[in-house]
Amino acid sequence: MNDPYSVLGVSPQASDDEIKKAYRDLARKYHPDNYHDNPLADLASEKMKEINEAYDAITKSREQGGGGSARSYSYGTGGSAYQSQSSGRSQYIQIRNLINANNLAQAEAMLNAIGTHDAEWYYLMGSVYWRKGWMDQAGQYFRTAATMEPNNVEYRNAVQYMNQGGQAYRPAGGMGMMGSDAACNMCQNLICADCCCEMLGGNLIPCIGCR
Amino acid sequence: MYGYVRPVKGELKVSELELFRAVYCGLCQELARRYGFLSRFLVNYDFTFLAMLLAEGAGPERCKKRCPVHPLRPVECLCTTGSLAAAADMTVVLGWWKLADGAQDKKPPLAWCCKLACAALRRAYKRASDRQPAFARAVQTELSALQQLEQENCPSLDAAADKFASILRAIGESQPTEDRRRILGQLLYHLGRIIYILDAADDLAEDMRSGSYNPLRFRFTPADGRLSPEDERTLRESLQLSHNALAGAYALLEEGPYSGILSNTIYLGLPAATQAVFAGTWKRSPKYHRERRSV
Repeated sequence: MNDPYSVLGVSPQASDDEIKKAYRDLARKYHPDNYHDNPLADLASEKMKEINEAYDAITKSREQGGGGSARSYSYGTGGSAYQSQSSGRSQYIQIRNLINANNLAQAEAMLNAIGTHDAEWYYLMGSVYWRKGWMDQAGQYFRTAATMEPNNVEYRNAVQYMNQGGQAYRPAGGMGMMGSDAACNMCQNLICADCCCEMLGGNLIPCIGCR
Repeated sequence: MYGYVRPVKGELKVSELELFRAVYCGLCQELARRYGFLSRFLVNYDFTFLAMLLAEGAGPERCKKRCPVHPLRPVECLCTTGSLAAAADMTVVLGWWKLADGAQDKKPPLAWCCKLACAALRRAYKRASDRQPAFARAVQTELSALQQLEQENCPSLDAAADKFASILRAIGESQPTEDRRRILGQLLYHLGRIIYILDAADDLAEDMRSGSYNPLRFRFTPADGRLSPEDERTLRESLQLSHNALAGAYALLEEGPYSGILSNTIYLGLPAATQAVFAGTWKRSPKYHRERRSV
């Protein structure tokens, strides 16, 4: 394994807090949520594993010398969503497997060979386009699927994910492409999430007055 | 080429700004060295970005050189490197095709200029495409496929953007390792997609006046050269998703001497360009290279 300090980009003299901060920044960067259904998800999860191991190695070696704390984040590897909810047709299960294996051309060919188009067909076609990077068409297909079967959670989630503009890592101060409107929505979402968190006893946005 | 891919200068460190200028001047010098004086006019920010993105290894060496734009005071230039040479080759290949395209599409006075420039750069193009045969092939196939789609008035934004995006993706194919090919492939594909869509949005009013092909005309229902707020939102959503994919790929690259400039370009420059295009201020923005010359 590489030197754990260089994996986290800190010097061996760094304090525990500095190491924790470096680890958290990197964990935020390679978080599986940023690679939702992304062809590079495997590389991101490798990176995640690498920094997890580095952080564990450092805390372990420091614990032996006293102090230190165990890693507070524990991310799994970014799994794929396509196994879960396939309905009846065995063809669809096969197509989902093809999409998972990034074999998009064959998945598309199989979909095109199917004559009747139900909601799942539109959803899977949307998934193929999504992986290809054809975001506009993917959105249209996802929306059609969700309109045909409004109660299906999988289709609804896909539409919602797109409407939010997805998710990606940005460094502090980094901007998005949606302009002020979306930034506003993001704040609203954050405040909403904070309220939910507080109901459950957590706190996402710490209250300045409470300190 | 289009100039959308450039850093926000005010947010660069002074050392990064100097390095950025050195790469830009280095690319221009490299073009002149490899392809003669005329090819200098093809230098652009998109391929400056590319030269930095493809660079590998230790810190770049710099030297001072004079040029026609700076005849008295020599400027700092990047010394020739593999990535700078490759960027120069590809600048010539794509630049030549863009001129050839202009010779066909533009109206007479401009079309003649394009034709003339094409003829003058023909030898340079031949040499450049011999040096980058795979890239030259990709440019040729994808552009002729794009032309076909234009003639059919293709209503699919994705299909049209895919052609240009595939050209950029081809740049990543010469990378030595499989991982880097995949990462750069995705990064460049979505960069190409963003450039194509921004260019279409920027030219929409003009294309509607002249009746030229623009995918947005057929994908949405613009009126008076503008998209409805709802359509604009859909389009920007699509740009955002591409930007996410681009940023996700970029995060997987190792840090290098250009990381500061590249991050600035991706996280600030592209969103700022998008903002300006949709606000309608992009074409009126002041000459970028004259901003804060006196640093």
